[in-house]
Amino acid sequence: MNTLPRRVRTSMLLRSFAVQGSWNYQTLIGAGFAFTLLPALRYLYGPRKEQLERAVARHAKVFNSHPYFATVAVGAVSRLEADGAEPVVVERFKTALRGSLGSMGDRLVWSTWRPMSVLLGMVLLLMGATWWIAVVVFLLVYNSLHLLVRVTGLRIGTEAGLQVGRLLREVPLQPLIDRASRFACFLIGMAVVLWGAPAFDDPVAGLLTGAAIILGFSLGLRTRRVLIAVIVGITAFSLVLGLITNGA
Amino acid sequence: MDPLTFVVLSLLGGVVAVDGTSFGQFMVSRPFVAATLAGWIVGSPLEGAAIGIVLEAFHLTVLPVGAARYPEGGPAAVAGGAVYALSDHEPSTLLLGVLVVLLLEWVGGETVRLMRRANVRLMNDKHKFQGTARWLELRHVAAIAVDFLRGMVLFAVGALILVATVRFVAPLWGLGEELPRLLLAALVPGLLASAVRMVGWRAWFAAAGAIGGVGFILVAG
Repeated sequence: MNTLPRRVRTSMLLRSFAVQGSWNYQTLIGAGFAFTLLPALRYLYGPRKEQLERAVARHAKVFNSHPYFATVAVGAVSRLEADGAEPVVVERFKTALRGSLGSMGDRLVWSTWRPMSVLLGMVLLLMGATWWIAVVVFLLVYNSLHLLVRVTGLRIGTEAGLQVGRLLREVPLQPLIDRASRFACFLIGMAVVLWGAPAFDDPVAGLLTGAAIILGFSLGLRTRRVLIAVIVGITAFSLVLGLITNGA
Repeated sequence: MDPLTFVVLSLLGGVVAVDGTSFGQFMVSRPFVAATLAGWIVGSPLEGAAIGIVLEAFHLTVLPVGAARYPEGGPAAVAGGAVYALSDHEPSTLLLGVLVVLLLEWVGGETVRLMRRANVRLMNDKHKFQGTARWLELRHVAAIAVDFLRGMVLFAVGALILVATVRFVAPLWGLGEELPRLLLAALVPGLLASAVRMVGWRAWFAAAGAIGGVGFILVAG
């Protein structure tokens, strides 16, 4: 059950968008965590200024997590503070939680959902969709999960408190990751073919483009460094040649 | 590019810089989006999208995890999208533009690193830190504002470098326009192929996608 009023929770949610605002090499997103938690701390400690300042100082210490999943930790910690948990318990809880929240976010969002959403936008554009439709579809698809994680994470955190770890283990993450990965691979296949499509009107250009695509794709499967090095090398050669020709 | 457009693009540079890490992370900062929007602002969204897709292919494998060092795509993509959209749209210009934007992205990544070091002092100055809530809020918001300004400056510097590249370096291209077109045709599939380990079921799904792409081309004509 939530002990914090809706306005406090909404304020924390909005502040969570800036949780990485002062990312630094010493406390990572620690200050951002305290910044996001502040509405709850102000509500709970109210006029007790000294306690509030001590709580802010405690929560501004080192913390790291995936930015979207940070709301889970913020919600759970706000619940612990509301329940009057000992500072040492809250600190241990934060330490235990941050690794798994980071890992979940990296696997689900950065490694899977984001590439899949971007590829979807790219494929739509290559299929001839109006540019803004491709951009809007990408932003909508990507941010549907983004906002879901932030909103649900805060709700689960504030409701579950210390039990949030158990709830997180029950989230069916892997099936979602697997499905999104498959779809991303499908989109890669489509994008590779559609990328060369404009050249296929002319048989010679189409043949050359097809060969270039196959060559590039095969090279990319093995090493992208060689591919990039070849392109940089040819570019440099062409510019030097142009310089010599122009000079002559 | 008139001064007003330059200012609007600079603001977009600031927005995408902040979106990258500091605030939101709605992914407006993705090269595909940032370059397309920049192209739209100068009147050629599709040219912006063309350079955006190539840059995006480079960025698919970039993971912004923890303290890792990575190139910053947003402000450089805004500069790349705008300048390429205003150029002659030749494949050689696109290829050169992409390579210069990649360098700018690396510079952007280094400025992010410097800013994070500066944030250590901003947020953890022991002489000033009294643990006050208001102090923390002000410093936190100030850090976001600095990031915004960093993005504006990065765009401005990047745009100037790219304009100089298009004006003085691109005309030196000495191998015709068919070669850069083929190089770009090879580059994007290669980068996409390297984005995931194409083995087992992944390869089958990619093959299915390729068949779907061929089918689409045949149906759509």
